[in-house]
Amino acid sequence: MTAGPLPASPGAGAPQPDLGAASTTGTTTGGSPAQSPDPALAAPRAAPPVALYVHVPFCVSLCPYCDFVVYAGALARGPRSQVVPFVEALTAELRLRADALDERWGSARPALRSVYLGGGTPSLLAAAAVGGLLELIARRFGMAAGAEITLEANPGTDDRGDLAGFAAAGVNRVSFGVQSLDPAELRALGRRHKPADVAAALDLARGAGIASINLDLLYDIPGGTLERWAASLDAAIGLGPEHLSLYALTLDDPDAEGLTGPGGDHLPATAGARRWRERARARQDDDRAADQYRLAVERLASAGFRGYEISNWARPGHESRHNLAYWQRLPYEAVGPGAHAFDGTTRRWNGARLDGYLAALLGTPGAPHEPPEPPPGGSETLDARTAAAEAAILALRLDTGLSLAEAEAGSLAPHLAWALEGGFVAEAPGGRVALTTTGRLLSNELFARLV
Amino acid sequence: MTIPQDRLRNFSIIAHIDHGKSTLADRLLEVTHTVEGRQMMSQVLDSMDLEREKGITIKARAVRLEYLAKDGLVYGLNLIDTPGHVDFSYEVSRSLQACEGAILVVDAAQGIEAQTLANVHLALKEGLTIVPVINKIDLPSAQPEVVMEELENILAIPREEVILASAKEGIGIVDILEAVVARIPPPKGDPEAPLKALIFDSHYDAYKGVINYVRLAAGTLHAHDRIRLMASGAESEMLELGVFRPQLVPVQLLVAGEVGYAATGLKNVREAQVGDTLTSAVRPAAEALPGYQEAKSLVFAGLYPLSGEDYPLLRDALEKLHLNDASFTYEPESSVALGFGFRCGFLGLLHMEIVQERLEREFSLDLIASAPSVEYQVQLIHGPVITIDNPSLLPSSGTIEEIREPWVRLSIVTPSTYIGPLMELATNRRGAFEGMDYLDPQRVLLKFELPLAELIVDFYDQLKSRTAGYASMDYEETDYRAANLVKVDIMVNGEPVDALSLICHRDKAQSLGRQLTERLKILIPRQMFEIPIQAAIGSNVIARETVRAMRKNVLAKCYGGDISRKRKLLEKQKEGKQRMKRVGSVEIPQEAFLAILGMGEE
Repeated sequence: MTAGPLPASPGAGAPQPDLGAASTTGTTTGGSPAQSPDPALAAPRAAPPVALYVHVPFCVSLCPYCDFVVYAGALARGPRSQVVPFVEALTAELRLRADALDERWGSARPALRSVYLGGGTPSLLAAAAVGGLLELIARRFGMAAGAEITLEANPGTDDRGDLAGFAAAGVNRVSFGVQSLDPAELRALGRRHKPADVAAALDLARGAGIASINLDLLYDIPGGTLERWAASLDAAIGLGPEHLSLYALTLDDPDAEGLTGPGGDHLPATAGARRWRERARARQDDDRAADQYRLAVERLASAGFRGYEISNWARPGHESRHNLAYWQRLPYEAVGPGAHAFDGTTRRWNGARLDGYLAALLGTPGAPHEPPEPPPGGSETLDARTAAAEAAILALRLDTGLSLAEAEAGSLAPHLAWALEGGFVAEAPGGRVALTTTGRLLSNELFARLV
Repeated sequence: MTIPQDRLRNFSIIAHIDHGKSTLADRLLEVTHTVEGRQMMSQVLDSMDLEREKGITIKARAVRLEYLAKDGLVYGLNLIDTPGHVDFSYEVSRSLQACEGAILVVDAAQGIEAQTLANVHLALKEGLTIVPVINKIDLPSAQPEVVMEELENILAIPREEVILASAKEGIGIVDILEAVVARIPPPKGDPEAPLKALIFDSHYDAYKGVINYVRLAAGTLHAHDRIRLMASGAESEMLELGVFRPQLVPVQLLVAGEVGYAATGLKNVREAQVGDTLTSAVRPAAEALPGYQEAKSLVFAGLYPLSGEDYPLLRDALEKLHLNDASFTYEPESSVALGFGFRCGFLGLLHMEIVQERLEREFSLDLIASAPSVEYQVQLIHGPVITIDNPSLLPSSGTIEEIREPWVRLSIVTPSTYIGPLMELATNRRGAFEGMDYLDPQRVLLKFELPLAELIVDFYDQLKSRTAGYASMDYEETDYRAANLVKVDIMVNGEPVDALSLICHRDKAQSLGRQLTERLKILIPRQMFEIPIQAAIGSNVIARETVRAMRKNVLAKCYGGDISRKRKLLEKQKEGKQRMKRVGSVEIPQEAFLAILGMGEE
């Protein structure tokens, strides 16, 4: 974690290739400001974004476990599709956000080091639309040389999209929502693709020149076993991706969390999804999940991957620069329904509802033309204590952890001492402390003490 | 307006839960224009949130109606509402003492229930006139004929006296009011005699101090009299005098026989307690009214603040609440596991639940209740008899000659099809069958004798579940009897948790210990290390379970840039932990201390 104040300039044109440099300001050079011994003392400061997230809220069909902002069915495809007006609205929002940044930081602000098109299924967009968006982004936000540009895609034949077209438009990293390579598990999860589709999709991406590929996999799937997980994982490794995100199937309840109100950043779960989650939850098992996680830690280490974050593994140099920005608490911009942005002090989000989003940015059909307005949403500004706790928690998610000085300073010290004694954190190279595998599996026990 | 004494009527309503008492009371208020239709909020008298939620009346309450009768005269009717649950029969008897009559409401489809019987017997013992009403005659399942037969058979109420009504539809309301006027005698008491007013209830008002609900037995009370409380000796200038309509409405004077409130101006709740007699400081009465017997606590439990620093708040809250509900007792105690708290005595399990909920809601406290217990008499070898209401305080078995436990006489009214299951339930609970009477061809009154300790744990729930909710019960305490009782201690992670100790019959100790450890295993969440849970009699472990160590608690999901959501989920986990009690190194959730209540039937 960046211990000192956020870098005022990420160094346009010089994306940091090395994770260590990006995450350990205190121990590396690079003209960083002097290190503060306690993150709690590091006064949070606003800064222009180094990353941009674009949310594309369309899928061919809804997966019952997913609670990202997604619209499916007729809204996503066919004559009543909202995709075209959505892209138009997205364009309007990008312009508004860029205007605001220009006003706040000037147009000579640092260029973006990463862009992430997530969803949803961004691969449902036409390659031309992606090209148009990226061009606009480059023009208005600036794009650092060698910037990481990720697009999420489904492996299925009907929603993997025009991978060659995306690559031609500038996409250089593709993240496939694989989830499992077991046919029964894929069916159980309500996924549309088959295991064989994954290899085919990968081939297409490689053929298009995509040099960095991520596969998302899920463990603790209802009915799953350690053996089936090992088989899925081995098959995934066998496909040769540069990056793997392994997520425990987590059946949250955005309604209960109070996120789905009229201005909320999530959509209410459908009745069917609700029932599915209830049944699935009863068939989950923390012990199995822990065994599956430990197995992954071992297999991926021997396959040459670095587990650089609790859920993320990469071959050296292929760590997701965009996701690292989240964990390093660097400022990022975000557009699209339900998207979250951060400027170093304030977290801002857009409401989840597509109709409200379109109306604000495109005006109401038939009504007199109005200038586009920012979509409905909300924001929160963190106080210094909350920000410090958040910084420590995010840093501890990474294998680079905290510097000893950070861990021993201020309010963190007793909790880190407890974690050290319990074997949840251990000393890491370079005078740092990081979570052990056990510590990762039980990280909430530590984090809940820190918030 | 002042109504002469011979046109006053003081009455209450006796009814089983759901037989329509509150609806009838609402209707009486409406017909007498005490509360106009447009202000009418359903169930005016049950003003506590808890009462509306649970659909029961917890506190007695009073309201003054003015009724223009068919004889052309205006009568002042004081309706004193009464609770309907068995736990609150103490409260009922207090209300009845302030009345000359009672409306008995029986559901036309359900018939007489066990508690109705008990309360009617209480009313008859007080010499009250009964006005019988069969309510809900509009229901398709109404059987007024059968219910009339029940009233005649069991209570010797002639069918000619019975009024058929539907409070919901407004049928028979005027007949009821006329019967109250015609049948219930006016109160007695000389308005010229020295003042004697019985305090039958009270509450604390932040602005006016202690507000006493009084029934004048003799004399006249003026709004600014100087008054004296005969038991406490406290004196004060009255701040306000008034009647309940149902909100407090000031009046200039109240005369013998009337019911109203007196804002005494006293600030200390102990100076004007329920049961005391209020008199004039200038011309005091020679002797006080008999007052009330103290409510007898049957169920005891420790109440502890979740966080130790809230102890003074809990003490203040108990003191304030006690003014409003004198029927629970409390005294300080300390627990190794739970720290400083109070041992409280309750009328029953529902009462315990309600007191706890009121403390939590009205005083914003987070509480832990220990397992409920009864009061045991322990004969020590070559020593005195001691009483204990906290199982953890039971002396070691070597010093005990004999332990005696309280027994109750239990009445159950049930459809006759459920006799078998109820016999089995009572027998499982060490009950002795005493007899059976048919109320009508389909319904019977069963009588048992039973140890109270067996009754307070889930008995009522079992009764309801075994009879599809049709049976009702009532009980009264009888005597103490010796039994082969043992103390079962619970150890969590090797440490005895005194708040979980319980006393039970030796024959049941094994299975109870097993059930309790199994239940605790479910209730105590997995923690960072393995937690053994043991039940033991003395040093002899009789049951053991293990909560395995937690292996996974991680946010391993893609939340994207939505860091706020992650943080809030963590904050929620933190709050959950803070709501648990740390005993040794183990975090125990509040509900685990009441594990004994949720075990169901063996």
